[in-house]
Amino acid sequence: MLTRQEQLEWILDHYENPRHKHPLDDADAVVEGGNPGCGDIIKVYLKIEAGRVVASFEGEGCTISQASASFLMDEINGRTLEEALAIDHAELMENLGKEIVQQRARCATLSLDTFRAAARKRERAQQLPS
Amino acid sequence: MTSTLDVAKVRADFPILQRRVHDKPLVFLDSAASSQKPTCVIEAMNDYYRRTHANVHRGVHTLSEEATALYEGARKKIAKFINARSSREIIYTRNTTESINLVAFTWGRANLKAGDEILLTESEHHSNIVPWQMVAKEKGAVVRYIPVDAKGYLDTAALDTLLTPQTKLVGLASMSNVLGTILPIKDVIDRAHAVGALALIDGAQGVPHLPTDVQALDCDFLAFSGHKMCGPTGIGVLWGKRDLLEEMPPFMGGGDMIRKVTFEGAAWNELPWKFEAGTPAIAEAIGLGVAVDYLSALGMEAVRAHERETIAYALERLSEIPGLTLIGPDDPDRRGGVATFTLDNIHPHDLADILDREGIAIRAGHHCAQPLHQKLGIVASSRASFYIYTQREEIDRLVAGLYKAKAIFKR
Repeated sequence: MLTRQEQLEWILDHYENPRHKHPLDDADAVVEGGNPGCGDIIKVYLKIEAGRVVASFEGEGCTISQASASFLMDEINGRTLEEALAIDHAELMENLGKEIVQQRARCATLSLDTFRAAARKRERAQQLPS
Repeated sequence: MTSTLDVAKVRADFPILQRRVHDKPLVFLDSAASSQKPTCVIEAMNDYYRRTHANVHRGVHTLSEEATALYEGARKKIAKFINARSSREIIYTRNTTESINLVAFTWGRANLKAGDEILLTESEHHSNIVPWQMVAKEKGAVVRYIPVDAKGYLDTAALDTLLTPQTKLVGLASMSNVLGTILPIKDVIDRAHAVGALALIDGAQGVPHLPTDVQALDCDFLAFSGHKMCGPTGIGVLWGKRDLLEEMPPFMGGGDMIRKVTFEGAAWNELPWKFEAGTPAIAEAIGLGVAVDYLSALGMEAVRAHERETIAYALERLSEIPGLTLIGPDDPDRRGGVATFTLDNIHPHDLADILDREGIAIRAGHHCAQPLHQKLGIVASSRASFYIYTQREEIDRLVAGLYKAKAIFKR
């Protein structure tokens, strides 16, 4: 169990050294999500390769929204899409440190919601006749 | 010399200031969003419910008569507070936003034509932008904006080109809720009238913090909220010049705003009740009346003097912090008690979070002024706002909290 201070440092680490933060040129789907007017933006790039998720993000905003994206990218890369989509809000907030993020749930879940939107967009694109 | 407030004495009137947050004494620096309430306002509303509540205007019985007297009595107090000619010109609404919507959708709908212009400023709150955008779209009118400069002052020289024969209404705040600028509304009102346009003042920040005299200003409409001036939420005011209000069609239809209803139609009630449909927020109106009494007893000149001192001190202390960029005028004589800023690259959400842990309440975001933030080139800012109960020590604690935030982010 991390102490509060350790949890904050963990969030700050993800914020200052974000994982998988870069565009993906050949993505199957790209979706930009944001908290209206408060300045958090997350853009998710998603591709499925050999049945596994390849994902990255770009964005700017508060520590919680950005750290959450970085952490999520760590979690979903290499998993199957089903496994990745099984991650829910509660699990994400638990990992970020529920006590710290509960006052800012919308910041914390922005990345997950945007990733899910990307998965849906990819699915719709796959269903269209080429 | 205007006496300033005895802040310790004022603070004793506000029970919520005794609260602790995260086990620290509360430092409430978010009054621009909503002010705290003195005991007399809280007690007046509770007392009303305990002893005199009944629906107003319709009853012959004692409780109804007493309630009506309190409700209409509050209206008279409000009229006096802003020096309105008559309490018939005071319309109770829910808040500033509703007051402005009322004007946009009654006066606006009845009078605006395709090609007409509504002139606002770049620093307006959404409540004085969106209703005009909505009614302009309906009528084919155009909304234009007077620029603000880098220091937060209104570019009044631009009025030469922006005021045209097509301008039908000029709308602006008397004080900006982000920049803190005290706008030169008298000048703008006169120039609006010179081209035959009406002038609407958004007094949400101004009325609680500055002496306001609608006759001296000669504005056509003034909108303000009870909850920003020591009153309860759920009650606001639209003041308008009587002949304008007489001409305007009603806003909402229903009980109390009619004189007579048949199956064929209805005849409207007199002012102000023409614009007050349904059972009003009676306790809240009474609460606002008591808030007006409270502020009148302090004296709005003294309120302003205290605020000027407070913002001067805040500007001085905040400008010492490396990496902090203040937004709005440097001159405390032209500024109200609102200190908006950015700090290094620390996102305002994170800043507000860290300050909250120190017991300090500020606001983070765009403060319902996205166009202004777009003009300033930032997405969000942090805002500390002051009122009659703010003391120097609280600004010192804010500054300490900001240094703490810098340390956490190693800046």
